[in-house]
Amino acid sequence: MNDKEQLLSAEQIDFLTEMMNIGAGHAATALTQLLQRSVDLVIPRVFVITDAQELSILDSPSLPVVCARMGMVGEVSGGLFLIVPGEQKEDLIRLAEQAMTDTGQSWRTGITKQESDDLKLSVIAEIGNIVAGVYLTTVHDFCKLNIYHTVPTVATDMVQALLDESLVRLSRQVQHIIVIENEFIVEEKLIKTFLMMIPSVESVDILVNSIGQARMAMVKDEG
Amino acid sequence: MQENIEVMMGGGAVTTAPHIILSSGLGSCVVVTLYDTERKTGGLAHIMLPDSSSLNGDHPAYKCADTAIATLIKELRTMRATPQDMVAKLVGGARMFLSSDDFGPGIGGQNIISIKRILKRRRIPVIAESTGGNYGRNVEFYLDSGRVTVKAIGRETKEI
Repeated sequence: MNDKEQLLSAEQIDFLTEMMNIGAGHAATALTQLLQRSVDLVIPRVFVITDAQELSILDSPSLPVVCARMGMVGEVSGGLFLIVPGEQKEDLIRLAEQAMTDTGQSWRTGITKQESDDLKLSVIAEIGNIVAGVYLTTVHDFCKLNIYHTVPTVATDMVQALLDESLVRLSRQVQHIIVIENEFIVEEKLIKTFLMMIPSVESVDILVNSIGQARMAMVKDEG
Repeated sequence: MQENIEVMMGGGAVTTAPHIILSSGLGSCVVVTLYDTERKTGGLAHIMLPDSSSLNGDHPAYKCADTAIATLIKELRTMRATPQDMVAKLVGGARMFLSSDDFGPGIGGQNIISIKRILKRRRIPVIAESTGGNYGRNVEFYLDSGRVTVKAIGRETKEI
Protein backbone atom coordinates (compact mmCIF):
# COMPACT_ATOMS: atom_id res chain seq x y z
CA MET A 1 0.00 0.00 0.00
CA ASN A 2 1.23 3.44 -0.85
CA ASP A 3 1.49 5.48 2.33
CA LYS A 4 -0.01 8.53 0.66
CA GLU A 5 -3.00 6.61 -0.57
CA GLN A 6 -6.29 8.18 0.44
CA LEU A 7 -8.09 5.98 2.89
CA LEU A 8 -11.42 7.74 2.56
CA SER A 9 -12.85 9.69 -0.37
CA ALA A 10 -13.75 13.36 0.03
CA GLU A 11 -17.44 12.36 0.18
CA GLN A 12 -16.73 9.82 2.86
CA ILE A 13 -14.82 12.41 4.89
CA ASP A 14 -17.80 14.77 4.56
CA PHE A 15 -20.04 12.01 5.77
CA LEU A 16 -17.69 11.25 8.66
CA THR A 17 -17.65 14.95 9.57
CA GLU A 18 -21.44 15.01 9.56
CA MET A 19 -21.47 11.91 11.72
CA MET A 20 -18.94 13.39 14.13
CA ASN A 21 -20.91 16.63 14.21
CA ILE A 22 -23.82 14.68 15.63
CA GLY A 23 -21.36 13.02 18.01
CA ALA A 24 -20.12 16.45 19.09
CA GLY A 25 -23.72 17.43 19.86
CA HIS A 26 -24.01 14.46 22.19
CA ALA A 27 -20.62 15.30 23.69
CA ALA A 28 -21.74 18.87 24.36
CA THR A 29 -24.87 17.59 26.12
CA ALA A 30 -22.82 15.22 28.24
CA LEU A 31 -20.31 17.95 29.13
CA THR A 32 -23.17 20.31 30.00
CA GLN A 33 -24.26 17.77 32.59
CA LEU A 34 -20.76 17.27 33.93
CA LEU A 35 -19.89 20.97 34.12
CA GLN A 36 -23.38 22.24 35.01
CA ARG A 37 -22.88 24.99 32.43
CA SER A 38 -24.17 25.35 28.94
CA VAL A 39 -21.63 24.02 26.47
CA ASP A 40 -21.74 25.16 22.84
CA LEU A 41 -19.84 23.56 20.09
CA VAL A 42 -18.25 24.60 16.88
CA ILE A 43 -18.61 22.09 14.00
CA PRO A 44 -15.73 19.66 14.40
CA ARG A 45 -12.97 19.32 11.86
CA VAL A 46 -12.39 15.75 10.81
CA PHE A 47 -9.37 14.60 8.87
CA VAL A 48 -7.47 11.44 8.13
CA ILE A 49 -3.70 11.48 8.19
CA THR A 50 -1.11 8.83 7.52
CA ASP A 51 1.88 10.88 8.54
CA ALA A 52 1.66 11.90 12.14
CA GLN A 53 3.81 14.95 11.40
CA GLU A 54 0.73 16.42 9.72
CA LEU A 55 -0.90 16.77 13.09
CA SER A 56 -1.14 20.53 13.71
CA ILE A 57 -0.50 20.31 17.46
CA LEU A 58 2.86 18.71 16.74
CA ASP A 59 4.05 22.01 15.28
CA SER A 60 5.39 22.69 18.74
CA PRO A 61 6.58 19.30 19.97
CA SER A 62 7.11 20.52 23.52
CA LEU A 63 3.63 22.06 23.97
CA PRO A 64 2.28 21.00 27.38
CA VAL A 65 -0.91 18.98 27.03
CA VAL A 66 -2.97 16.52 28.97
CA CYS A 67 -3.72 13.29 27.22
CA ALA A 68 -6.10 10.47 28.01
CA ARG A 69 -5.09 7.25 26.32
CA MET A 70 -7.62 4.51 25.75
CA GLY A 71 -7.74 1.31 23.79
CA MET A 72 -10.48 0.45 21.29
CA VAL A 73 -11.80 -3.07 21.48
CA GLY A 74 -14.62 -4.83 19.69
CA GLU A 75 -15.24 -4.96 15.96
CA VAL A 76 -12.60 -2.29 15.45
CA SER A 77 -9.49 -2.40 17.64
CA GLY A 78 -6.79 0.18 18.08
CA GLY A 79 -5.96 3.23 20.14
CA LEU A 80 -7.79 6.38 21.14
CA PHE A 81 -6.25 9.58 22.45
CA LEU A 82 -8.01 12.63 23.80
CA ILE A 83 -5.67 15.60 23.90
CA VAL A 84 -6.36 18.92 25.61
CA PRO A 85 -3.74 21.69 25.34
CA GLY A 86 -2.33 22.82 28.71
CA GLU A 87 -4.03 26.19 29.25
CA GLN A 88 -7.42 24.81 28.39
CA LYS A 89 -6.89 21.94 30.76
CA GLU A 90 -6.80 24.42 33.64
CA ASP A 91 -10.00 26.03 32.37
CA LEU A 92 -11.71 22.66 32.15
CA ILE A 93 -10.62 21.65 35.64
CA ARG A 94 -11.76 24.99 37.06
CA LEU A 95 -15.15 24.54 35.46
CA ALA A 96 -15.47 21.00 36.79
CA GLU A 97 -14.50 22.25 40.22
CA GLN A 98 -17.13 25.01 40.09
CA ALA A 99 -19.73 22.51 38.99
CA MET A 100 -18.98 20.36 42.02
CA THR A 101 -19.09 23.34 44.36
CA ASP A 102 -22.38 24.47 42.80
CA THR A 103 -23.92 21.11 43.47
CA GLY A 104 -22.78 21.24 47.08
CA GLN A 105 -19.85 18.87 46.70
CA SER A 106 -16.42 19.96 47.75
CA TRP A 107 -13.29 18.19 46.69
CA ARG A 108 -10.58 20.33 48.17
CA THR A 109 -11.04 20.07 51.90
CA GLY A 110 -8.46 18.10 53.79
CA ILE A 111 -6.69 16.55 50.84
CA THR A 112 -3.01 16.64 49.97
CA LYS A 113 -1.62 18.28 46.85
CA GLN A 114 -0.99 14.83 45.39
CA GLU A 115 -4.62 13.86 45.94
CA SER A 116 -5.74 17.13 44.41
CA ASP A 117 -3.54 16.57 41.34
CA ASP A 118 -4.85 13.03 40.98
CA LEU A 119 -8.37 14.39 41.19
CA LYS A 120 -7.61 16.89 38.42
CA LEU A 121 -6.34 14.12 36.19
CA SER A 122 -9.39 12.04 36.96
CA VAL A 123 -11.56 14.92 35.72
CA ILE A 124 -9.70 14.75 32.42
CA ALA A 125 -10.05 10.95 32.39
CA GLU A 126 -13.79 11.36 32.90
CA ILE A 127 -13.98 13.86 30.05
CA GLY A 128 -12.00 11.40 27.93
CA ASN A 129 -14.49 8.70 28.87
CA ILE A 130 -17.43 10.87 27.92
CA VAL A 131 -16.05 12.19 24.65
CA ALA A 132 -14.74 8.81 23.49
CA GLY A 133 -17.96 7.14 24.58
CA VAL A 134 -20.28 9.45 22.66
CA TYR A 135 -18.21 9.31 19.49
CA LEU A 136 -18.03 5.54 19.57
CA THR A 137 -21.79 5.42 20.15
CA THR A 138 -22.26 7.67 17.14
CA VAL A 139 -20.07 5.38 15.05
CA HIS A 140 -22.23 2.50 16.26
CA ASP A 141 -25.48 4.31 15.40
CA PHE A 142 -24.37 5.03 11.85
CA CYS A 143 -22.04 2.19 10.99
CA LYS A 144 -23.51 -0.60 13.12
CA LEU A 145 -20.10 -1.36 14.54
CA ASN A 146 -19.71 -2.32 18.15
CA ILE A 147 -16.61 -0.59 19.45
CA TYR A 148 -15.81 -0.06 23.09
CA HIS A 149 -13.04 1.86 24.75
CA THR A 150 -10.93 0.77 27.70
CA VAL A 151 -10.46 2.78 30.89
CA PRO A 152 -8.36 5.90 30.18
CA THR A 153 -4.81 6.35 31.44
CA VAL A 154 -4.05 10.03 31.79
CA ALA A 155 -0.71 11.81 31.63
CA THR A 156 0.35 15.45 31.39
CA ASP A 157 3.49 16.28 29.47
CA MET A 158 4.84 17.58 26.17
CA VAL A 159 2.60 16.59 23.27
CA GLN A 160 5.19 14.84 21.15
CA ALA A 161 6.61 12.97 24.15
CA LEU A 162 3.17 11.59 24.94
CA LEU A 163 2.50 10.50 21.40
CA ASP A 164 5.88 9.41 20.09
CA GLU A 165 5.51 5.76 21.05
CA SER A 166 2.27 5.54 19.07
CA LEU A 167 3.80 7.51 16.22
CA VAL A 168 6.69 5.08 16.15
CA ARG A 169 4.25 2.21 15.82
CA LEU A 170 2.65 4.13 12.97
CA SER A 171 5.92 4.49 11.21
CA ARG A 172 6.52 0.75 11.31
CA GLN A 173 3.41 -0.10 9.34
CA VAL A 174 1.28 2.23 7.34
CA GLN A 175 -1.56 3.20 9.55
CA HIS A 176 -4.17 5.89 9.51
CA ILE A 177 -5.22 8.31 12.18
CA ILE A 178 -8.68 9.82 12.19
CA VAL A 179 -8.45 13.16 13.93
CA ILE A 180 -11.52 14.92 15.26
CA GLU A 181 -10.74 18.46 16.27
CA ASN A 182 -13.46 19.79 18.57
CA GLU A 183 -14.02 23.26 19.88
CA PHE A 184 -16.38 23.70 22.78
CA ILE A 185 -17.38 27.05 24.19
CA VAL A 186 -18.08 27.20 27.90
CA GLU A 187 -18.66 30.60 29.54
CA GLU A 188 -17.00 32.35 26.62
CA LYS A 189 -13.93 30.19 26.96
CA LEU A 190 -12.88 28.22 23.97
CA ILE A 191 -11.80 24.69 24.79
CA LYS A 192 -10.08 22.80 22.06
CA THR A 193 -9.76 19.05 22.14
CA PHE A 194 -8.29 16.57 19.73
CA LEU A 195 -9.60 13.05 19.57
CA MET A 196 -7.30 10.71 17.66
CA MET A 197 -8.62 7.33 16.57
CA ILE A 198 -5.92 4.95 15.43
CA PRO A 199 -7.54 1.80 14.05
CA SER A 200 -5.24 -1.21 14.02
CA VAL A 201 -3.96 -2.30 10.63
CA GLU A 202 -6.30 -5.31 10.80
CA SER A 203 -9.41 -3.23 11.45
CA VAL A 204 -8.90 -0.32 9.06
CA ASP A 205 -10.78 -2.07 6.25
CA ILE A 206 -13.69 -2.99 8.50
CA LEU A 207 -14.05 0.61 9.59
CA VAL A 208 -13.66 2.06 6.11
CA ASN A 209 -16.14 -0.40 4.56
CA SER A 210 -18.70 0.31 7.25
CA ILE A 211 -18.34 4.06 6.77
CA GLY A 212 -18.74 3.55 3.00
CA GLN A 213 -21.85 1.40 3.43
CA ALA A 214 -23.42 3.74 5.96
CA ARG A 215 -22.88 6.64 3.59
CA MET A 216 -24.41 4.78 0.66
CA ALA A 217 -27.41 3.85 2.78
CA MET A 218 -27.91 7.48 3.69
CA VAL A 219 -27.47 8.72 0.11
CA LYS A 220 -30.14 6.18 -0.96
CA ASP A 221 -32.54 7.32 1.74
CA GLU A 222 -32.13 10.92 0.70
CA GLY A 223 -32.16 10.15 -2.98
CA MET B 1 28.45 33.40 15.81
CA GLN B 2 26.73 30.70 17.80
CA GLU B 3 23.96 28.91 15.97
CA ASN B 4 21.11 26.80 17.26
CA ILE B 5 20.38 23.78 15.12
CA GLU B 6 17.04 22.12 15.76
CA VAL B 7 16.64 18.41 15.14
CA MET B 8 13.15 16.98 14.68
CA MET B 9 11.96 13.49 15.57
CA GLY B 10 13.76 10.98 13.36
CA GLY B 11 16.39 13.55 12.35
CA GLY B 12 20.03 14.24 13.10
CA ALA B 13 22.75 16.88 12.74
CA VAL B 14 26.49 17.30 13.17
CA THR B 15 28.41 20.47 13.92
CA THR B 16 31.34 21.95 15.84
CA ALA B 17 31.96 24.41 18.69
CA PRO B 18 30.50 26.89 19.55
CA HIS B 19 27.14 25.81 18.14
CA ILE B 20 24.21 24.16 19.93
CA ILE B 21 22.02 21.29 18.75
CA LEU B 22 18.50 21.12 20.20
CA SER B 23 15.78 18.51 20.12
CA SER B 24 12.47 18.57 21.94
CA GLY B 25 9.50 16.47 22.97
CA LEU B 26 11.30 13.20 23.63
CA GLY B 27 9.14 10.44 25.08
CA SER B 28 10.04 6.91 24.10
CA CYS B 29 12.46 8.29 21.49
CA VAL B 30 16.13 8.52 22.45
CA VAL B 31 18.61 11.26 21.69
CA VAL B 32 22.21 10.12 21.27
CA THR B 33 24.96 12.68 21.31
CA LEU B 34 28.44 11.78 20.09
CA TYR B 35 31.22 14.19 20.97
CA ASP B 36 34.84 14.19 19.89
CA THR B 37 36.46 15.76 22.95
CA GLU B 38 39.69 16.56 21.08
CA ARG B 39 38.14 18.37 18.14
CA LYS B 40 35.00 19.74 19.82
CA THR B 41 32.95 18.25 17.05
CA GLY B 42 29.82 16.26 17.59
CA GLY B 43 26.44 15.12 16.42
CA LEU B 44 22.97 14.39 17.72
CA ALA B 45 20.38 11.90 16.49
CA HIS B 46 16.72 11.76 17.61
CA ILE B 47 16.12 8.02 17.29
CA MET B 48 12.64 6.48 17.09
CA LEU B 49 13.22 2.75 16.64
CA PRO B 50 15.71 0.18 17.99
CA ASP B 51 16.64 -1.25 14.59
CA SER B 52 15.95 -0.86 10.91
CA SER B 53 15.51 -4.54 10.07
CA SER B 54 11.76 -4.43 10.78
CA LEU B 55 11.22 -1.68 8.23
CA ASN B 56 10.57 -2.23 4.56
CA GLY B 57 11.93 0.06 1.91
CA ASP B 58 13.59 3.42 2.37
CA HIS B 59 13.56 5.19 5.66
CA PRO B 60 15.39 8.23 6.99
CA ALA B 61 18.85 7.26 8.23
CA TYR B 62 18.43 8.87 11.65
CA LYS B 63 15.18 7.12 12.46
CA CYS B 64 16.62 3.79 13.64
CA ALA B 65 19.43 3.19 16.14
CA ASP B 66 21.70 1.14 13.84
CA THR B 67 21.57 3.40 10.79
CA ALA B 68 21.50 6.59 12.90
CA ILE B 69 24.72 5.82 14.77
CA ALA B 70 26.45 4.65 11.59
CA THR B 71 25.42 7.85 9.82
CA LEU B 72 26.49 10.09 12.71
CA ILE B 73 29.94 8.48 12.77
CA LYS B 74 30.26 8.72 9.00
CA GLU B 75 29.30 12.40 9.01
CA LEU B 76 31.63 13.12 11.91
CA ARG B 77 34.52 11.40 10.16
CA THR B 78 34.11 13.76 7.22
CA MET B 79 34.61 16.55 9.77
CA ARG B 80 37.84 14.81 10.83
CA ALA B 81 36.46 13.53 14.13
CA THR B 82 37.60 10.05 15.14
CA PRO B 83 35.57 7.40 16.97
CA GLN B 84 38.48 6.75 19.38
CA ASP B 85 38.03 10.26 20.80
CA MET B 86 34.26 10.12 20.97
CA VAL B 87 32.03 9.89 24.01
CA ALA B 88 28.30 9.31 23.99
CA LYS B 89 25.39 10.57 26.08
CA LEU B 90 21.84 9.25 26.01
CA VAL B 91 18.57 11.02 26.82
CA GLY B 92 14.98 9.78 26.64
CA GLY B 93 13.55 6.30 26.34
CA ALA B 94 10.71 7.01 28.75
CA ARG B 95 7.47 5.13 29.13
CA MET B 96 4.84 7.83 29.16
CA PHE B 97 1.79 5.82 30.11
CA LEU B 98 1.88 3.27 32.84
CA SER B 99 -0.85 0.76 32.32
CA SER B 100 -1.33 -2.88 32.96
CA ASP B 101 -1.66 -3.81 29.30
CA ASP B 102 1.97 -2.87 28.58
CA PHE B 103 4.48 -5.61 29.16
CA GLY B 104 8.24 -5.72 28.67
CA PRO B 105 10.56 -2.75 28.31
CA GLY B 106 8.42 -0.86 25.76
CA ILE B 107 9.84 0.88 22.72
CA GLY B 108 11.74 3.36 24.92
CA GLY B 109 13.52 0.57 26.78
CA GLN B 110 14.24 -1.34 23.57
CA ASN B 111 15.76 1.80 22.07
CA ILE B 112 18.12 2.23 25.03
CA ILE B 113 19.21 -1.43 24.99
CA SER B 114 19.83 -1.40 21.26
CA ILE B 115 21.77 1.89 21.28
CA LYS B 116 24.01 0.76 24.14
CA ARG B 117 24.76 -2.50 22.36
CA ILE B 118 25.72 -0.69 19.16
CA LEU B 119 27.90 1.84 20.98
CA LYS B 120 29.63 -0.95 22.90
CA ARG B 121 30.42 -2.75 19.66
CA ARG B 122 31.90 0.47 18.30
CA ARG B 123 33.82 1.05 21.55
CA ILE B 124 32.30 4.44 22.21
CA PRO B 125 31.73 4.88 25.96
CA VAL B 126 28.39 6.13 27.27
CA ILE B 127 29.58 8.65 29.86
CA ALA B 128 26.21 10.02 30.99
CA GLU B 129 22.52 9.41 30.55
CA SER B 130 19.11 10.63 31.60
CA THR B 131 16.85 7.82 30.52
CA GLY B 132 13.70 5.97 31.49
CA GLY B 133 11.01 7.30 33.80
CA ASN B 134 7.62 8.47 32.65
CA TYR B 135 8.23 12.05 31.61
CA GLY B 136 9.12 13.90 28.41
CA ARG B 137 12.42 15.68 27.86
CA ASN B 138 13.97 18.52 25.87
CA VAL B 139 17.68 18.34 25.05
CA GLU B 140 20.37 20.95 24.35
CA PHE B 141 23.82 19.82 23.26
CA TYR B 142 26.59 22.41 23.62
CA LEU B 143 29.47 21.74 21.27
CA ASP B 144 31.92 24.04 23.08
CA SER B 145 32.10 21.66 26.06
CA GLY B 146 30.07 18.60 25.10
CA ARG B 147 27.66 19.22 27.96
CA VAL B 148 24.03 18.25 27.53
CA THR B 149 21.15 19.86 29.39
CA VAL B 150 17.89 18.05 29.93
CA LYS B 151 14.66 19.92 30.62
CA ALA B 152 11.37 18.40 31.68
CA ILE B 153 8.06 19.94 32.72
CA GLY B 154 7.96 20.56 36.46
CA ARG B 155 11.54 19.38 37.01
CA GLU B 156 14.82 21.17 37.48
CA THR B 157 17.05 21.43 34.45
CA LYS B 158 19.71 18.77 34.65
CA GLU B 159 23.17 18.85 33.13
CA ILE B 160 24.74 15.58 32.16
